[in-house]
Amino acid sequence: MNSENVIAAINERCPGAIVSSTQPLPTRLFLTVNKANMPEVADYLFNSAKARLVVSAGTDKSPINGTYEVSYIFSLDQDQLMVAVKEIVDPADPRVPSLTNIIPGADWHEREMRDLMGIVPEGHPDPRRLVVSDDWPEDVYPLRKDFPYNYKPPRVTEIKPPMREPKENEKQATVLSIGPFFPTLEEGAYFRLYVEGEQIIGSDYRGFYAHRGIEKLTETVLDYNQVPFMAERICGICGFVHSATYCQAVESAAEIEIPPRAKYIRSIMLELERIHSHLLWLGLAVHYLGFDTVLMQTWRIREPLMWLTEQITGNRKTYGMNLVGGVRRDIDAETAGKILKTLEKIEAEAKDLIAAAAEDNSIKMRLENVGTLSKEDARKICVVGPTARASGVAIDTRKDHPYLAYPDLDFKIAVQQGCDIWARTLVRAEELFTSISLIRQMIDKMPAGGIMADYGPIPPWREGIGASEAPRGECAHYVITGPDNRPYRWRVRASTYPQLQSIPKMLDKMSIADFPIIVGSIDPCFSCTERVIAVDTRSKNIRTYTQQELLAMSHRNFGQGRRS
Amino acid sequence: MTNIAVGVFNILLVLLAAPLLDGFLRKVRARIHSRQGPPVLQSYYDLAKLMVKEDQRGANNFIFNAAPVACLGSVLLAALFVPMGGVVPLGFAGDILVLVYILTLAPIFMCLGGMASGSPYAYVGVSREIMLLMVVEPVLAVALISTAIKANSLVLVNCIDRYVSSPPDISLIIGAIAFFLILQPEISKVPFDLAEAEQEIMEGPLIEYSGRKLALLKWSMYSKQIVLIALFAGAFVPWPRTGFLLLNIVIALIKILIFAVLVEVIAQVFPRLKISQAIRYFAIVIAVALTGLVLAVMDL
Repeated sequence: MNSENVIAAINERCPGAIVSSTQPLPTRLFLTVNKANMPEVADYLFNSAKARLVVSAGTDKSPINGTYEVSYIFSLDQDQLMVAVKEIVDPADPRVPSLTNIIPGADWHEREMRDLMGIVPEGHPDPRRLVVSDDWPEDVYPLRKDFPYNYKPPRVTEIKPPMREPKENEKQATVLSIGPFFPTLEEGAYFRLYVEGEQIIGSDYRGFYAHRGIEKLTETVLDYNQVPFMAERICGICGFVHSATYCQAVESAAEIEIPPRAKYIRSIMLELERIHSHLLWLGLAVHYLGFDTVLMQTWRIREPLMWLTEQITGNRKTYGMNLVGGVRRDIDAETAGKILKTLEKIEAEAKDLIAAAAEDNSIKMRLENVGTLSKEDARKICVVGPTARASGVAIDTRKDHPYLAYPDLDFKIAVQQGCDIWARTLVRAEELFTSISLIRQMIDKMPAGGIMADYGPIPPWREGIGASEAPRGECAHYVITGPDNRPYRWRVRASTYPQLQSIPKMLDKMSIADFPIIVGSIDPCFSCTERVIAVDTRSKNIRTYTQQELLAMSHRNFGQGRRS
Repeated sequence: MTNIAVGVFNILLVLLAAPLLDGFLRKVRARIHSRQGPPVLQSYYDLAKLMVKEDQRGANNFIFNAAPVACLGSVLLAALFVPMGGVVPLGFAGDILVLVYILTLAPIFMCLGGMASGSPYAYVGVSREIMLLMVVEPVLAVALISTAIKANSLVLVNCIDRYVSSPPDISLIIGAIAFFLILQPEISKVPFDLAEAEQEIMEGPLIEYSGRKLALLKWSMYSKQIVLIALFAGAFVPWPRTGFLLLNIVIALIKILIFAVLVEVIAQVFPRLKISQAIRYFAIVIAVALTGLVLAVMDL
């Protein structure tokens, strides 16, 4: 189905719904529809055209034309087409019809829009607070343009997390609070489990404790080429994919064609990141089962990769390689040789380890038929990445919306039908080796030439959608270019965002013992890198260590530095 | 007089060597993980640290406060019934039965303390511990009683003597295997450390304990490790036995070390099981142990 078909079908179903349409790229279709027709259009796209909701974003354009805009971006995965459907909202009456009843996966998007933009999704089944903190005032909306980025709301004394009331069958159950600080989950996240004996009969989630206002900061103080570095800090594990996706979105909005060599380098880094992330996940997953031997061995296997990326980029993680228009560092022949050598070692060791783990019946026993997510639910909640692929939904952004070097490469996407954690493990194990093969192909085919495109000022009011396959699934960024050399609106949808919404389905009827591995099985992306603060209890002095001091301490404690 | 000396020796050995054994096992574990591992004395440092740390008073009632002391006390009491090199300080007719009861006391006290803390994590841990006890303790009792039937005596030392003096019978070998299989849950090692399961319920019954009380509980867990392995080594693998007490003690210590390493290695090559899976597994072990008992009755 191409874009003409989509427009024709919408016109046929609800004539007059489409106000305007543009198609800046063959793979991107932007529609503006009447607010009243939005549910019908969404229903057509989601249920008839079998599109998947990628991201939605509310934009405050009131300083420009006195309106708010709400965009829902759908992906037609079979047709390499992304359709952005926009509705115009009057700031005096900021209400839109909710789509959550049609698309369950729209739940969080709409709650986020309400929290940050004050756009009320009418008919939303569960309009609780999602993003802003518990003590945030009711009528202050941070992403509105009249909200200054450094505004601090007054403190309140009474804080109550917005948890739902227990359902009828949960009233007699024991409440087990997991979080906000639970040792197994490295990041602040609060799960409230209703349990009967060992069995979980209901669950509720409150997250966003680490909401840092990155989007707001970008729209107010950063410029186009500072954002990649901010974007990379969204996640401590797959940060590169965020900066790459942001750059992709801006480049597609501004129609900048980046040099082929830069495309390859970005793709190589993306795949290296996937290898490190999957190995990290495998280790964590078995750690949740109390199997620390495999944890330690996987991380030992992963370590040379961290040294490798440090040699390529200067950093173990948070590579800082991307700029709009290209990359900052080249990969020369010597480095390429090192990459191949490291991969060879990792491949051999990972093969042995995974073979040993796969033969181990006790691991399989803990993972099979645990945390199941049916294919139907996976599609409804619009989950992505290994979580979707393990439930038989064959989507992979690298194939569905080919970007960077991927159109030139030969690979198969890993799909499993098991729907359980074992299937997710198999998918990730297979992807690990796919990534190694992809990097080999890329180093083999690497084109010569520059690594940075020449481009002039980026024109304002263009829209761009970037999507790439992060280790955890599709990562999507939506950018509206602005007049001040910075994005007017930048919406980030990390891959964990849809996955987390599927957790209640996975937890249902499982035992408490399965909880850590179920939450772990979606590979939740924890991100928080703060400086260490030490408090002297006698003098009550707070001392913040500088980076130099921390480095000195770490060198002292681990006498033999690894750099020989 | 000798009995008092041996008793003091047993208690001191258990109290003082238990953290050393744990520290050594941590080193072994680290080696399996390809890690450097903490110093061998780390478990002493941990206990010392906990001893001087502030007690957060997770709960304040008699049972919660008394449980750690009672727990350690019952482990030490059990140590008086266990042969370390052939001699049992508190041996008397029927001591096997007493030992079976005393060995159950330590986990029961820990469970009581956990229940008294009121934490839901502790409740989950306690319910798992009790379920495990119900399938593990019968094996322990059946294995010990098999030897008693063979020796026709309820005195542990007599049973061991009978064991040493004649070639091993099939029933005793089965009993030994069954006993070895329950070492893992008895001393809270993966795959059967469900009651503490750090990643799931954050050490369950221990969750509200801190400072000195936590140190006592940790210490009693280390001690229980050495007592049970000593019991296994002494009662089911009593060879080689020499005529000299000192040499016997050295041999006993070496055996304890070997079996402890074996248990640790097993703990490092399995993931933790769920309670339902663990119970299914121990149902089989119970069946095996009962077969041993039947064979013992048939004098095989």
